[in-house]
Amino acid sequence: MKQTLHPLTLWVGSILIAIGVVVLNNPFVALATVGAVGLLVYIRRDGSPWSASFSLSLRIGALILAIRTIVGILIGVPIPGRTLFSLPILHLPSWMPGIRIGGAVTLERLSSSLHEGVIIATLIALFGAATSLTSPHKLLRVTPSFIYEIGITLVIATSIFPQLAMSAKRIRTAQKLRGMEGAGLRTIALPLLEESLARSLQLAASMDARGYGISKKRSRYRPQRWLMRDNFVVLTSLLLALVMVTR
Amino acid sequence: MVLVMGETGSGKSSLLRLINGLVPHHTGGILAGDISVDGISTRSVKPGSLAHLVGIVGQNPINGFVTDIVEEELAFTMEALNFPADVMRKRVEEVLDLLGLSALRNRSIATLSGGEQQRVAIGAALVMHPKVLVLDEPTSALDPIAAEEVLSILHRLVHDLSVTVIVAEHRLERVIQFVDRIIFIEGNGETSIGPAEDILKMSDLVPPIVKLARALNLHEIGTSVREVRRQTESIRDGNYPDIPTISRTSETAIDISHVSYRYGEKVALNNVSTSIQQGEIVAIMGRNGAGKSTFLHSIVGLDSPHAGSISVNGMDPTNLKGEERRNAIGYVPQEPSDLLFAPSVEEECAIADRSNNLSAGSTAALLNRLVPHISLHAHPNDLSEGQRLALVLSIVLSSNPDVLVLDEPTRGLDYRAKNLFSIALKEYASQFNRPVLLATHDVELVAELADRVLFLAEGEIVADGSTLDVLLSSPAFAPQVAKVMSPKPWLTVSDVVSAIEGKP
Repeated sequence: MKQTLHPLTLWVGSILIAIGVVVLNNPFVALATVGAVGLLVYIRRDGSPWSASFSLSLRIGALILAIRTIVGILIGVPIPGRTLFSLPILHLPSWMPGIRIGGAVTLERLSSSLHEGVIIATLIALFGAATSLTSPHKLLRVTPSFIYEIGITLVIATSIFPQLAMSAKRIRTAQKLRGMEGAGLRTIALPLLEESLARSLQLAASMDARGYGISKKRSRYRPQRWLMRDNFVVLTSLLLALVMVTR
Repeated sequence: MVLVMGETGSGKSSLLRLINGLVPHHTGGILAGDISVDGISTRSVKPGSLAHLVGIVGQNPINGFVTDIVEEELAFTMEALNFPADVMRKRVEEVLDLLGLSALRNRSIATLSGGEQQRVAIGAALVMHPKVLVLDEPTSALDPIAAEEVLSILHRLVHDLSVTVIVAEHRLERVIQFVDRIIFIEGNGETSIGPAEDILKMSDLVPPIVKLARALNLHEIGTSVREVRRQTESIRDGNYPDIPTISRTSETAIDISHVSYRYGEKVALNNVSTSIQQGEIVAIMGRNGAGKSTFLHSIVGLDSPHAGSISVNGMDPTNLKGEERRNAIGYVPQEPSDLLFAPSVEEECAIADRSNNLSAGSTAALLNRLVPHISLHAHPNDLSEGQRLALVLSIVLSSNPDVLVLDEPTRGLDYRAKNLFSIALKEYASQFNRPVLLATHDVELVAELADRVLFLAEGEIVADGSTLDVLLSSPAFAPQVAKVMSPKPWLTVSDVVSAIEGKP
């Protein structure tokens, strides 16, 4: 099913499923959703620069999960239950009542933190999936004209990042060959900065010369049509969300 | 078709950008005098308003692309100027056909070859049906075959579609046959404008064909191979004693045996074996993507081959570090400015002196011999391409490396700078008896400089022999003099002259 979808389809689908996940509030269903979405991303991957967004979002999700759990254990409203282990209590001044650092860590506290963390990580993964499967250039074409200027800045920025990464690698290589081992940030930063400035100026000149910004209105070369398969995806997500909400 | 020529840094790009108003609207500066295109003065309108009259293709087209798909890139200008959809569709189809891009219409621009990207950039400018098309060094990054394609498209535009084409180029030998008039920007800011033959008669900056005509004292200066061939028939019919080839036997400096390298799925080098002698100057040629850069990177020790081994003067280049590497291999990358990070020329030289334990001023002296009169306080980015290359070359040579490797060094260099550069390299190779490897598209440079040519295609060496043999056997990669004097085995003007005068 390598046909192209309308750029908004996956975003709408992700939002619907995200609503369902939040309302259902079941971490195992959420993890299953992440798994399913991951499979989808893997099947439809096309090697474009933004495809790496999904793995990035998974890592961010895992990081947030870890932070949340640790903070939840250290500082949190104590939930009575089975104590797993105890941490030394840090006494706080009297003007900070209601917060306790340390103390007994209960299973309930731990599982509650993990639960919330998983839900948040799932939401991030859903949006990461939508990002990695939607071309930002296509998304730009369906935005209305008045936010086009901002949009195009964002799109060009996202296409420049992979270029910058390549430039940094190239410069580091060249300097290593000049015999400068451990080339620090300072020696790479300058050529990189100069190069990105020069590139941006060239891009701006090219856009200027091609008439960007001259006319108030923009026309659309090929309007992106909303097709049956887009309806299919959105309806499926809607059904899933409804099932999750009403359970 | 008008050619703008001049030495590096003489102002060719600025001249081109004056035509559509980028100078001074975009770049700043003070403009005296007036430029008008089709009656509209560039003073009174912004560059975008001239987009339907003047199409401009910059030096690095990849830096000017806004979208990621070919078709959308072509439509960008029309969208920005609010053209109706049916007009846009029609024009995009026309341009796709004109430039032979129909098969590429849905491709992502980043995956195209250099020549294809150049054509997309030209298409994006042509889609507006401009009266004037301005191109800044369109063939500098292209191999000879892709360059031919682009130039013949331009030729067709001029002759069939009555577009005025203005091109700035250093590699005059590629363009000169298509050109009607020349704008020659001389060093002191003066310009001479006139028909191609007149300007070439009195200029120092001339392609090999004109040099040949001067050396042989021909009546007319021809601008195409055919014209000069007609005038030199008598010379070609004569019999000349063979020039004895100096065979040099020396020890092997670099040994490459059964090297293979893969990028994921793609095979970049496939079982490549060869060896390079001391004192040899070897040119590595091939289409973009044939594996030249990977080959050089493996020799320099950046990428460790997946199979096979490389030894440089007995050492494995991947294990070298720091000073040891500097002394073993000198590498001049494709973008020489990657190596520069100090705010002034003086400081770059001082850093090089310090890291190589040389007395202060040695690198600067080396630089001065290569290109005299470079201001030591200048920022390296303000130097011309030729000057920057000279700076990087002196920095690399100051560590006295045993092997010198250069990647596409002569992009953006005029004939004079290239000549100085060739002399420096020849001196290095012969005086110290060390090998020089350079990857290049520049056939004329190879003819002047190289002893041996390695031709790579699809990761394999398809030709490995003396410059004479390899260049003469391929019509696309033959230098101009060889084309004129075929079937005689002469590659450069000096070859011809020495053969006629009977002395080596």
